[in-house]
Amino acid sequence: MGMFDPLKGFGVTFSTMFKKVVTEEYPEIGAPAAARYHGRHQLNRHPDGLEKCVGCELCAWACPADAIFVEGGDNTEDERYSPGERYGMDYQINYLRCIGCGLCIEACPTRSLTMTNEYEIADDNRQDLIYTKEDLLAPLLPGMEQPPHPMRLGESEQDYYVDGPELAKRPGVPDPVGEEVK
Amino acid sequence: MTAVQEPKKLEVPEGHVTLVIDDVEVVAPKGELIIRTAERLGIVIPRFCDHPLLDPAGACRQCLVEVEMGGRPMPKPQASCTMTVADGMVVRTQRTSKVADKAQQGVMELLLINHPLDCPICDKGGECPLQNQALAHGRADSRFVDVKRTFPKPINVSTQVLLDRERCVLCQRCTRFSAQIAGDPFIELLERGADQQVGTEATSEITALNKTSEGKEFASYFSGNTIQICPVGALTSAQYRFRSRPFDLVSTPSVCEHCSSGCAERTDWRRGKVQRKLAGNDPEVNEEWICDKGRFAFRYATAADRITRPLVRDKATGELVESSWTEALRMAADGLATARDAKGAGVLTGGRLTVEDAYAYAKFARIALRTNDIDFRARAHSDEELSFLASSVVGTTPENGVTFTAIENAPAVLTVAFEPEEEAPIVFLRLRKAARKNNTAVFHIGQWTTTSVTKTSASLLACQPGGEAAAIEGLATHAPDVVEALRKNGAVIVFGERAAQVPGLFSALTKLSAETGAKLAWIPRRAGERGALEAGALPTLLPGGHPVTDAAARAEIERAWGVDEGTLPAEPGRDTSAILAAASNGKLSGLVVGGVDPNDLPDPALAREALETLSGNGFIVSLELRRSAVHDYAHVVLPIAPSVEKAGSYLNWEGRRREFGTTLEGTGALPDGRVLDTLAVEMDVDLFTQTPASAAGDFARLPSVNDSSANGSRPSMLEVPAAQVPSSLGGPSALLATWRQLLDNGSMQDDEPALAGTARPVVARVSESTARALGLNGTATVSTARGSITLPVVHADLPDGVVWLPADSGDSTVRATLGAGHGDIVTLARGEAS
Amino acid sequence: MGIEEKLPNGIMLASLEKLVNWGRRNSLWPATFGLACCAIEMMTTGGPRYDIARFGMEAFRASPRQADLMIVAGRVTNKMAPVLRQIYDQMPEPKWVLAMGVCASSGGMFNNYAVVQGVDHVVPVDIYLPGCPPRPEMLLDAILKLHAKIADEPINARRAQLLAESGHRTELIASSIKYAKK
Repeated sequence: MGMFDPLKGFGVTFSTMFKKVVTEEYPEIGAPAAARYHGRHQLNRHPDGLEKCVGCELCAWACPADAIFVEGGDNTEDERYSPGERYGMDYQINYLRCIGCGLCIEACPTRSLTMTNEYEIADDNRQDLIYTKEDLLAPLLPGMEQPPHPMRLGESEQDYYVDGPELAKRPGVPDPVGEEVK
Repeated sequence: MTAVQEPKKLEVPEGHVTLVIDDVEVVAPKGELIIRTAERLGIVIPRFCDHPLLDPAGACRQCLVEVEMGGRPMPKPQASCTMTVADGMVVRTQRTSKVADKAQQGVMELLLINHPLDCPICDKGGECPLQNQALAHGRADSRFVDVKRTFPKPINVSTQVLLDRERCVLCQRCTRFSAQIAGDPFIELLERGADQQVGTEATSEITALNKTSEGKEFASYFSGNTIQICPVGALTSAQYRFRSRPFDLVSTPSVCEHCSSGCAERTDWRRGKVQRKLAGNDPEVNEEWICDKGRFAFRYATAADRITRPLVRDKATGELVESSWTEALRMAADGLATARDAKGAGVLTGGRLTVEDAYAYAKFARIALRTNDIDFRARAHSDEELSFLASSVVGTTPENGVTFTAIENAPAVLTVAFEPEEEAPIVFLRLRKAARKNNTAVFHIGQWTTTSVTKTSASLLACQPGGEAAAIEGLATHAPDVVEALRKNGAVIVFGERAAQVPGLFSALTKLSAETGAKLAWIPRRAGERGALEAGALPTLLPGGHPVTDAAARAEIERAWGVDEGTLPAEPGRDTSAILAAASNGKLSGLVVGGVDPNDLPDPALAREALETLSGNGFIVSLELRRSAVHDYAHVVLPIAPSVEKAGSYLNWEGRRREFGTTLEGTGALPDGRVLDTLAVEMDVDLFTQTPASAAGDFARLPSVNDSSANGSRPSMLEVPAAQVPSSLGGPSALLATWRQLLDNGSMQDDEPALAGTARPVVARVSESTARALGLNGTATVSTARGSITLPVVHADLPDGVVWLPADSGDSTVRATLGAGHGDIVTLARGEAS
Repeated sequence: MGIEEKLPNGIMLASLEKLVNWGRRNSLWPATFGLACCAIEMMTTGGPRYDIARFGMEAFRASPRQADLMIVAGRVTNKMAPVLRQIYDQMPEPKWVLAMGVCASSGGMFNNYAVVQGVDHVVPVDIYLPGCPPRPEMLLDAILKLHAKIADEPINARRAQLLAESGHRTELIASSIKYAKK
């Protein structure tokens, strides 16, 4: 141990003063996240506002923490929430169980369930951390219509699922994905 | 363990052959299919179209095996599901033959060519034979690169059954079931070659030639079975489609609560809710089939008007209000004790009770209300019927009575006042099987050629409604061949609940049975009737079947129940009609009602009057599952459990005990027996029926009419002369023929729109000449002094001057509207356009 | 609690309440209760990149006597539960509990015999933070939400009654919105 070693230590501290500050100014600069961060879920909509969820429960099956509860319901001609036969009547995710693994997203056959970059969801009671369908559904963009309403973009669900990407490029059709990227 | 054995010559019994399957020598009865023989050896040959209860078809070719006959191999692999065994045959399955294995893999690949691999969204995924076998025997990848065949989907074969044609592998199980087992025009194979598909008349593109089943309108009570036997997910039910996945479900064996056949079922449930019911396999009873009512009617138990809390009538407002069990039972006990000590209280139970619950009612009436005024017959009934039940039915079991198997093997069956397809569908299936396979001669005494008659190849002996007794008496003169057929060993005479509406029929049948030696089978319509009879829920019978007038039996029961000598009333009680009459005359001050619909009773007006009177100055306790008609009159309403939420047993019409356990545990709903037990404790009496098991144990200790060595205790049959039916009614008067259809307005079919859509059309039937005489074109109005029913008219081969109406379908509520029953005189006129 | 109980209500007490709460929330001293993976994120939060010292709480105390915030980071086993309670009991009033991560909040994916299904079975929890594990920003967000709650705490029984009667409930706003640079 040399004679100047204690001073060397102060030297390290002192030299740091001239380095760039590494501290992230978290709340002030917004909530940063990688593009594919596993934040809270979102139930997406078709460009006309109909829900993509068909109530198949595959997400609930994939969930290792048993955090998802789904109950499907029948679409009728008068009350249509999604193209096709069924829709997710009740959809709940318990964020106090969800581990954000994303298996539900992989399981979803209609790309209805995706994850957002939002993560500031701490709350002071358990009840409010069980997100229901109202909390999870994507907001209506301009041009979308609140379901229930009839299919606006095609005759059958085939038109929605098979030609979906084409539909989205039509003029006047809201583009939820593009919106988010902006 | 087994040491090396000396090759031993197998003993070959008469009518058997020896063959070798996969190097194992085996003896098989002649005519057995190779696939079954292999199955007995434990060798599973994959198959789709093969079903043990259907005729072989060889449609799917999945079961190909290599066969060698007399040392010469057959040129191509053979379908083991169509080829019968032969002496000296050598069979090599996929286990020992590369040829068979390759053939099976090829067939699997071919089947999968047009099969959409949509397993994740298919309801069958997880319990799918195709999925299982593709994983077990199929190739890992497909060589098929073209576009798969698709169809618009799904198509509604009926409101209940949906068909996804692209999933179909053309095994023809459904079409064979419809043609062979049910005999209904349902679905058929259409088109040829690569275009071959299963479909209905509506989906057929080529007209005329390919019309299905002679273009008949689709109607089947058994369509649900095709869904269950479909080896892929091509057929689904509207009720279960996309509701759940097989691996989500918990399966509980159960027994059907709808009719008196007592079919074995499997109830699949999830999250405390029943999702579907499947047929259980019980070769003695329902084989592998159940009717659509048993399969699809279960949502009544979760209907919105289900009662879950006890209700008591508020003295101030006169409204029923929710209360605690303690308060409700206290009030019920006080009210019933007061009524009992005033002019007495009676008990009316419906047809839905388990044996244990019926026993609780019977015991409650006898020792808590100290009366014999109890009757389970919430329908038309007669003293003659009561006497017949006491003398010939109570105590019969499958060992000494008629069984399903007996019907199947009978040389001749006579059905009287009984519509098998509508009242006991499984009996109908057996009758059809008997007629098809065993050439059983079926005779039907009824009014017109119903589907039950045509599909069982029966001979119709037409008579006027109410004239069935006279027809039986006239058999020897008018149809000696029928009497001759019934003389054969094993012949059976079957009759149902309608017999109680024909005076003299039971006497005539007893006489015919004594003359010919044919056995009698009484087949009630509802599940609980046979059990209630055994449990003593009748005015003249004690639990166990001894008459109440039998002092020795009474004493024995008093000892078993631990009550004082002379507690049990010795006088026979009043039957349903008499109880209601007494109540409306003020001769009865209390009533315990367990699931009775006044509209089923012979006189709904009398029932309402009785309830009205008692609600004013008497006391009514109603034990009900959902809001019933009694609800508005009851002083205390006690909720009880539906059959899925309780354990117990039904006695089916054979007298066979059909036990079942609780499917949905922990719902808090109590069975009738438990409610009555607690109510009795409040009245200082112990019933010991807290649980179905304890009730069954308590019941088993009682003397049964079967145990007594002397059959002298059985009462003799009451002789009633056959009613004379007016031979021709003048003018607009007509005789009413009526019975309930399987799918009707019954409260246990509520909340099932898809099932209701498969009900038969609600029409009035008359003969063509009557229709012409009265000028009935389009609609007809049937009326009595009480009211009238207007329905579309359909011509049928009824006797002249007779009109048939469904008893409780749609607007045709015969008892409620007309106050008339089978055999009554009504007025028939041209229907006014309403 | 002390002299404030005897003070008259009014402008002065309301201002005093604000002052006291300001002091309390800006000098929270966490007691370390790192139990599993969440503790790694908690330590990161204490490091230079996220610098929890910005919110006046850099000193993680090993001694409960000097701490007033317990961050339960990780799944609590049934064996650990009494220890947790003891530490909590040893902390002086006023004190707060933050359940960090889904395991501490509800048992998370460990729905089994060994793990306590939420520390609120053992101690009262003031704020639940979902995530598996929650990223440091999420912890900061939860702490800032807790700050908001502390700021609204009544100073005495009478103030508590007034607050309860008014039906007041602290609004928990996502920190990146609440503290966004203007």
